Amino acid sequence: MRHRGREGIEEVIIRILRIAGILFFFVVVAFPFYWMVVSSFKSLQELLLNPDNLGLDIRKLDFSSYGEVLFEHGFLQYIFNSVYVAILTVLLSLSLATLGGYAVTRLYFRGQGLMSLSILVIYMFPAIVLVIPLYVVFSWLGLRDSIHVLILVYLAQTLPVALYMLRSYFQNLPAEIEYAGLTDGCTRLGVIWRIVIPLSAPALASVALYTFMIAWNEFLFAFMFLDSPEKFTLSRGVVQLAGSVHLSKQLVMAASVLVTVPIVVLFLLFERHLVRGLTAGAMKG
Amino acid sequence: MIVASLTLKNISKRFGKVSVLRGVDIHVEDGTFCVLLGPSGCGKSTLLNIIAGLTPQDTGNVLLDGEPVDHLAPRERDVAMVFQSYALYPHMTVARNLGFGLRMRGVDREEIAHKVRDVARLLGIEELLERKPRELSGGQRQRVAMGRALVRRPRLFLLDEPLSNLDARLRANVRLELKQIHQQLRGTVVYVTHDQVEAMTLGDQIVVLHEGNVRQQGTPETIYARPADRFVAAFLGTPEMNLYSGTIVIREGRALFEGKGFSLNLGDALMAHANEEIEMGVRPEDVRIHHAPGPGLQAEVEMVSNIGSEIYVHARIGRERITVIAPKDAPLKAGQAFSLTISPDALHLFHKGRRL
Repeated sequence: MRHRGREGIEEVIIRILRIAGILFFFVVVAFPFYWMVVSSFKSLQELLLNPDNLGLDIRKLDFSSYGEVLFEHGFLQYIFNSVYVAILTVLLSLSLATLGGYAVTRLYFRGQGLMSLSILVIYMFPAIVLVIPLYVVFSWLGLRDSIHVLILVYLAQTLPVALYMLRSYFQNLPAEIEYAGLTDGCTRLGVIWRIVIPLSAPALASVALYTFMIAWNEFLFAFMFLDSPEKFTLSRGVVQLAGSVHLSKQLVMAASVLVTVPIVVLFLLFERHLVRGLTAGAMKG
Repeated sequence: MIVASLTLKNISKRFGKVSVLRGVDIHVEDGTFCVLLGPSGCGKSTLLNIIAGLTPQDTGNVLLDGEPVDHLAPRERDVAMVFQSYALYPHMTVARNLGFGLRMRGVDREEIAHKVRDVARLLGIEELLERKPRELSGGQRQRVAMGRALVRRPRLFLLDEPLSNLDARLRANVRLELKQIHQQLRGTVVYVTHDQVEAMTLGDQIVVLHEGNVRQQGTPETIYARPADRFVAAFLGTPEMNLYSGTIVIREGRALFEGKGFSLNLGDALMAHANEEIEMGVRPEDVRIHHAPGPGLQAEVEMVSNIGSEIYVHARIGRERITVIAPKDAPLKAGQAFSLTISPDALHLFHKGRRL
């Protein structure tokens, strides 16, 4: 009976913690998000008249902020830039991490252990430590103010984690399936393409999402390296907008929505692919 | 079908400090069903991987039809392998699993479909062709794994304990079927197992491996009747061979085996080995039981176990134990005294582990 009593207390504590967690999440994340979305649909006048009105009148939805941000403040270009940067980063990161992660799990070569270890060590450097030297180096090389250099930097940032994630997934793939592929007539690359990649779809999806988020949201390097407004990424654009002389809150809010919503949508789309394993049925079972 | 002979010359392999294979020499004629038999950890799976080219050997050569293939990648050796875990491609249907090897070799689509259907018919899995591996039972997966090897008609089949994950009843059926398929197709097969029944029933040739060494190779009959050393003697046969250590003594012009509390006539051939320390073995089925106390060894029944088809009698002779297969019509009871005789021809004698 005493045992059950303890479980009862545990249950109560868990319930309280759960409610506290939800409240915390609501205050810290959901409310600002709501405030941002609501403000972006209001006119400047409305915001100035009723600054503390949390509600939104559906009949008075005002899309003009979006139009203004997209077409007058260059956000159409920023969106294009961000999509370009993020997608290229994802593709490069996925291909390099797949090959690299496979190499450190399945191939045996001198320095393999060191290589495996150094993957994560690189990630330990905070971005802020790297940004100044990189700024100097890229200035020397005349490579500043280029979207492609930005992609290079993002790759350096995302590859360690991408490699690490894929490596641990590859380690759990049964080697015998690959052996079967090799005896069935595949080359190593063939095995990677026809067997490893299809079986790693959930891990690849996770890595893609992670990389996309980093590249899409990144601000520090974009701020340091990009000078010409036509090369700005979204996050850089928002800061530019927020810092401009005639600041209008609803415009910044609309721009922020443009930054946030694609990530949320993407996450919801990918989410169900992330967890499920695909190797069911390969083995004796 | 092109069928290759297989020769292994002086193959060794170490993993770190562990020496897994120590100079293995094996020859398998084309069309032969060769069983690599040994306890787990004897290096037999490693040897199979080396033959397939999946693991590089440290020394030695693998030859197919007399030609070294060491420099060839697995796909260039034209061997097919059935894995213990089956290792089916989980993201492909059964049909695609079966046809994968052909597709990789550039066989055209119609021919693949044709061959896949043939193999599926041979194995009785035609109705499963559109399923994914996860929708199959263990036995069905095992069939697909075999089919994937068969469909390619390779020069050499490698099978790594393909039956070990099936339940006992299914295993016996598939074993028979495997033998039939082999008689039909006559491919060269190297089959790895730790199960002596599989080895005895399937093999044209058995290679017994232990601690990375070949202990004996030959037909199942030879290996059972004339085991080359103590390990092979003890490893094959159910119940196990009775083994006793003792000395050869010459008494009244005859060679006797002097064990712990009993002695046994060895015949005339061993006079030259007087006073040598040896081990003497006798298979349970080679012992004759006499109910009335009489000539031969005096024994006392300790326990009787009836397994249905046979009766095993566990008895005591001198200070040793002996297991005997007893006739079903003459039941013995625990505590009963009886005598037994063993023909000198049925004895296996080992000196320092090797057969005399």
